[in-house]
Amino acid sequence: MWKKLLVIILLFYLFALLQNSFLAHFGLFGAVPNLVFILFFILAFFSARGGPAFSWEDFFYAAAAGFFLDVFSYTYLGPSIILLIIIGLVFKKIQSLLKNKEDKYPFIYFLFLFLISFLVYSLFFSLYLYLLEPGKIPMNFGIKAIFSTIYNLFIASIFFFIYKKFNEKGLQN
Amino acid sequence: MNAFKYFSINKKRNNWLKVLIGVAALIFLLVIINFFVSPIKNYFYTLSAPIQKNFWSAGGSSSNFLGSLLNAGSLAKENEDLKNENQKLLSQIASLQSIEQGNQAQSAISISCQNNEFQFVMAGVVGLDDNDIVSINKGSADGISEGMPVVNQQNVLFGKIFKVYKNFSKVILISNKNSVINVKIQQSQDSTDPEVDGIIKGNGGLTAYLDLIPIDSNINSGDVLVTSAIEKLFPKDLLVGKILQKEKNDQKPFQQAQVSLFFNVKATDNLFVITNYKQIK
Repeated sequence: MWKKLLVIILLFYLFALLQNSFLAHFGLFGAVPNLVFILFFILAFFSARGGPAFSWEDFFYAAAAGFFLDVFSYTYLGPSIILLIIIGLVFKKIQSLLKNKEDKYPFIYFLFLFLISFLVYSLFFSLYLYLLEPGKIPMNFGIKAIFSTIYNLFIASIFFFIYKKFNEKGLQN
Repeated sequence: MNAFKYFSINKKRNNWLKVLIGVAALIFLLVIINFFVSPIKNYFYTLSAPIQKNFWSAGGSSSNFLGSLLNAGSLAKENEDLKNENQKLLSQIASLQSIEQGNQAQSAISISCQNNEFQFVMAGVVGLDDNDIVSINKGSADGISEGMPVVNQQNVLFGKIFKVYKNFSKVILISNKNSVINVKIQQSQDSTDPEVDGIIKGNGGLTAYLDLIPIDSNINSGDVLVTSAIEKLFPKDLLVGKILQKEKNDQKPFQQAQVSLFFNVKATDNLFVITNYKQIK
């Protein structure tokens, strides 16, 4: 368990570094993939469906992802941590209401939930930055947000299928 | 039955109490952590800077490689355009050689910087975020403070220092949506029109546009924009960009224009922070 958590922390750190340096060269209309958010969402989506609404594991994922998002931004430590915990809580509640007997992790649910979660995160984080420094940081919620959402949705979909493949292999073994 | 009901209510209350205690503990922890936000961030940036620098360079190379692959079809046309442009430039050089004023204009920027005796701190670019904010690997320990102008070796303006930590800083680019800087238009050599002032407004996504140009002023595509230093935020005559296409509407009091900024963040590895401009002004 500790090994898994350590690997996840390292992955969050690596992804935070990648999205702030390497992936900045692959921006579309100023939008860059938010790998840390995508990884957090994938982990939360696949973690023990049908179990507790929001486990300590989910809390850990949200806190670790939020910490790395905040460390590499120019803001205080905390807004992303709080936002991801709230998103995780609401997301788990919605996930527990969605039933599908044939497939435990249907892609359509993933798309829908990721879209809502990402938009909520982007909107509130942008609002927070705007309120923090209204003269310096613009309220980034226009066309760029649409591009950003589509771009992130695309990357998240790739992650979804990769993780699902690994998850199925892991269950078979 | 009643006992069961009370037990159920108590259990709900206990759950809410646990959540409230959890939230209070989290907020308390975050408040405490934020007292040490600068050293924590500085530690992570110092630790990550070498890896991030490599990732940044690798990203630039990969992006260039992919770009060249994707644009392979248009290379022939680009080559032809470059030949035409080269011929045009050769003829311009011939005419410029005979104009002393032309030579003076060419060297004005470097002379102005030398005259102002600017001191520079060279810093490596390690990151860029989606709000047009660049991270550099030098901070207050190197004499950098907020508001200092940031340029490259060709005196192309990138922006100004926005946040400073001990070993790294954040630079807000002139393309940031809230960035507004005063510029003047250096018109072509054969132009007899008076100098025109305007402002460059950031548009996000590493783009910007020119605004507040009086409607009767004559501006043309290709005109070069340099800082005018009216607001004293930046030294004068730093290169900013060139006009791509003007958008004139007689019903509006001012003209606007699309601008191609001279900076190319993604192809830049090092930047220079002017550390003594504020003292000079």
